[in-house]
Amino acid sequence: MGKVQLQISRRTFLKSALAGSAGLAVAGGHAIPAVAAPEGSAEPPWFYRGQIKTTYSVCDMCPWRCGITVQSVGDRVYKIDGNPADPKSRGMLCARGQGGVSFMYDPDRLRSPMLRTGERGEGKFQEVTWPEALDAMAEKLLAIKEQYGPESVAVFGHTSGEFWFADYFAQAWGTPNAAKPSSSLCTSPREEASNLTLGFPVGGHEPVDWEGLRCLTLIGSHIGEDSRNTVMQDFAKAWGRGAKVIVVDPRFSSVAAKADYWLPIKPGTDTALLLAWINVLIAEKRYDADYIAEWADGFDKLAAHVADLTPEWAAAITELDPELIRTTARVMADSLPQSLIMPGRHVTWYGNDTQRMRAAYTVNALLGAYGREGGFYFNKSPYIEAYPHPPFAVAGSAGGCSAEPGAESAELPVGPSGKARADGARTKFLRGATAMQELIEPMITGEPYPIKALIVYGTNLLNTVPDVPRTIEALKNLDLVVAIDVLPMEHVAWADIVLPEATVLERYDELWTVAHKTPYIALREPAVEPYADTKPAWWMARELGMRVGLENYFKWETAEEYINTRLQTIGSSIEKMREEKGIIVQKGKPYFADFKGSSPFLTKTGKIELYSDELALAGQDPIPVYTPTEDPPDGFFRLLYGRHPVHTFAKTQNTPLLHELYPENELWINAGIVAAQGMKDGDRVWLENQDGARSGPVKLKATERIRPDAVFMAHGFGRNEPALTLANGKGANDAQLQTRYILDPISGGAGMRVNFVRIVKEA
Amino acid sequence: MATNAFLLDISRCIGCQACTAACKTGNELPAGTQFIQLIEQTRGTFPNLEGGFQNHRCYHCTDAACVSVCPTGALFKEDGMTRLNRDVCSGCQYCTDACPFDVPQMVDGRCSKCDACADVVAAGGTPWCVRTCPSDALRFGDRQEILAEAQSRVAAIKERYPKARVYGETEAGGLGVIMVLPDDPEVLDLPANPQVPLLVNTWQKVVQPATMGLTGLSILVTGVAAVIARRNHMQELKLLHKEEAKADESK
Repeated sequence: MGKVQLQISRRTFLKSALAGSAGLAVAGGHAIPAVAAPEGSAEPPWFYRGQIKTTYSVCDMCPWRCGITVQSVGDRVYKIDGNPADPKSRGMLCARGQGGVSFMYDPDRLRSPMLRTGERGEGKFQEVTWPEALDAMAEKLLAIKEQYGPESVAVFGHTSGEFWFADYFAQAWGTPNAAKPSSSLCTSPREEASNLTLGFPVGGHEPVDWEGLRCLTLIGSHIGEDSRNTVMQDFAKAWGRGAKVIVVDPRFSSVAAKADYWLPIKPGTDTALLLAWINVLIAEKRYDADYIAEWADGFDKLAAHVADLTPEWAAAITELDPELIRTTARVMADSLPQSLIMPGRHVTWYGNDTQRMRAAYTVNALLGAYGREGGFYFNKSPYIEAYPHPPFAVAGSAGGCSAEPGAESAELPVGPSGKARADGARTKFLRGATAMQELIEPMITGEPYPIKALIVYGTNLLNTVPDVPRTIEALKNLDLVVAIDVLPMEHVAWADIVLPEATVLERYDELWTVAHKTPYIALREPAVEPYADTKPAWWMARELGMRVGLENYFKWETAEEYINTRLQTIGSSIEKMREEKGIIVQKGKPYFADFKGSSPFLTKTGKIELYSDELALAGQDPIPVYTPTEDPPDGFFRLLYGRHPVHTFAKTQNTPLLHELYPENELWINAGIVAAQGMKDGDRVWLENQDGARSGPVKLKATERIRPDAVFMAHGFGRNEPALTLANGKGANDAQLQTRYILDPISGGAGMRVNFVRIVKEA
Repeated sequence: MATNAFLLDISRCIGCQACTAACKTGNELPAGTQFIQLIEQTRGTFPNLEGGFQNHRCYHCTDAACVSVCPTGALFKEDGMTRLNRDVCSGCQYCTDACPFDVPQMVDGRCSKCDACADVVAAGGTPWCVRTCPSDALRFGDRQEILAEAQSRVAAIKERYPKARVYGETEAGGLGVIMVLPDDPEVLDLPANPQVPLLVNTWQKVVQPATMGLTGLSILVTGVAAVIARRNHMQELKLLHKEEAKADESK
């Protein structure tokens, strides 16, 4: 009898493990024996090979960070699924997330700490012990601090564990020169435009209130190719409900193919289109007049500003049909306030990007979208206390795409020797977001003060920061380069000290706290032991801290102790979180009504600032103006880049599973051009940019899906590191072709779509 | 027991390949094997374009050409799905010739294709591709309910896609994958009326029985040997599991 019942409960568990349904609550360490495999397969499937253990964690295969359940049997992880309790994944997961297991078992992984033996860039190292590597790093850091001050150490951080180095260690050590690519190489124009217009940043997760949305407008956002799980889910639901979709893109993207209206705009002219839309909304009195009267400031100036910026004016600039511009403005207005332009993610395009984003937010204000159901909700961060520590030597973190509302831009943080960030914030550009690419110059010139050491945590330096030759020069010039990574990415060969990291499936990590409609906290626990001699970032940061006199900041012995101390402040613990499937959801304040009469907008006027006094005072356009960007010279195409659905940044190209699904990128090019130049689909060509930089060979994808004046490729390919045995030498490298960028004078963002390439048929 | 079916909503699929990856990891498919292929489809010329993705996979025909031509029983029907027992596949490739959808592939000399996650479903789970699809383009369940869902989805997208239709209700005797198509099947590279090629049919129904005494016998002998070997193996495996279970209980 007992046996039969046991069998039933085992089967129920198996069902819950396989189907992701709410079955028995089984968390890390509490595994149940598997049932016997049915007959019919020579080797039983993995879920019959022994006890299935389920561990709750947060995916690290892209920056979106879905909650996951990790299924392992013995010491092997077999499957990752979306955690049904997680507000982002809701039990589903994209291809990249599925690739997390393959990423962990990549045979090319770094396996031991190493010290450089050859010249920088040669990639010659000797394996050493952790104490040897950390002692060497600590000694060098202290010497640099002694001679130049702690501000002369820069820390670049990306991926899940960036907190420990780019935020926690950097602030404890005393350097304001900590930066994340997610700011100035991705979202800073979007964030700063939001700060200027609404008084708070967008935050990591665009606060689109999808459930009631009736009209979605995308400018360059390629949902589906940018395969953020939640966004794909929400988009599919809205589309299935019949919400109108307007897509502005020079390329017929996957989502453009689903759109009711596709506007194949001339690259670089989006602001003209936005101004014409504003013109139509105001001229035809289709905007939400009551909302504007109550919540907006500067409407009359805006109306006067756009009076002549008609669809006909914009048509000449954007190469779009003026009637299409007019129609789409009306379609947007028909659904207001459940109608909006999604802010998008990577928006550092042409160097005038903050103004473009402000124009988009102006449209959203005219549609009355902010704070309305089916428009934008106001997101809120979850409540939980930080781990108690002495005051940081530098107040203010590196920022990034999920910067906390309000904190970053008010005042620039300074280090113990009184030096503010060396990237030119408040001088070269107006606002205070960190600009990683502007920290390279001081490494070469020593101006405004020298940066002598660089700790690179998880940032793919040579595939991310534009102007690669300049970065190489900086790497040659530094006194200390430390690379902390999972894989031998290109910049690792330039490091003096290499610290190999455990992947997210092998480590505890800082709690994931998400500003959201329903703020939530997610737990990250390891499913298996770290591979070879790899270590988690929290351990490395702590061990380093103990060696450089920062013991008081690292009082905890284990990550569990650190996490439990924080969770105690909200009456929880790791144990309790396991019972709640790794997720704690709190209550938000999504709509106007939740503010009980006070303004949710944190601008000086307490309103949406359609006219910005701050910009006017700084000599910038207080209302967005269209400024032309340079056209490609004869024989050249504008180089556009973006995502492929199975790859993230320059991180996953070597991951065996994802490499199999998309091993090399292709060059999207208009089929008519290919035919006219006597080439054909599938030909392999080289690309040469305006400065003579080359990359390739890359396969031509001759397609009707792109304008004749631009070419497009997925980012992150064309790698040149033999230690990446799968990715090396496959496709073309957009970063190497981005030898120039235009600095956004407001946000500090690096506009990278200002490079042109021509096709050469041989190397 | 009611027959199950997949729902595959081609109009909804956004080509993210989550299904392909989940299928590969959940089923531990070796490098080079994929049961689902995403194929980009584009119609028209710039800027007047239409397009989407074909989510190409086994459609689990009721009148399955592959099953009727398979000489070893490696391909067979079960619960409305077309299963594959690779252990007894002889690599004859009749199935690749016969399939009206061009689905079975030869990997390491043997047939390779989706078996609708037979083991997962038997254990009470959902096929991996369905479980992970972020676009709700895939579902799995009772065939009648799936058919009703497909019909209601078609009705909902008629305004966008006037030619939208259900595909798979009757085609090839009824497919195990009921599709929502935004356009005519031919436009989406699907046969309007999928049929077993006449030549294959002739081979199966006339030539093959006639030559049974020759080639048929040799296939039969190989097949029986394989079955016996396999039965022994499974018995050993069962014994092993029993011992494990006893060990667990004594703990």
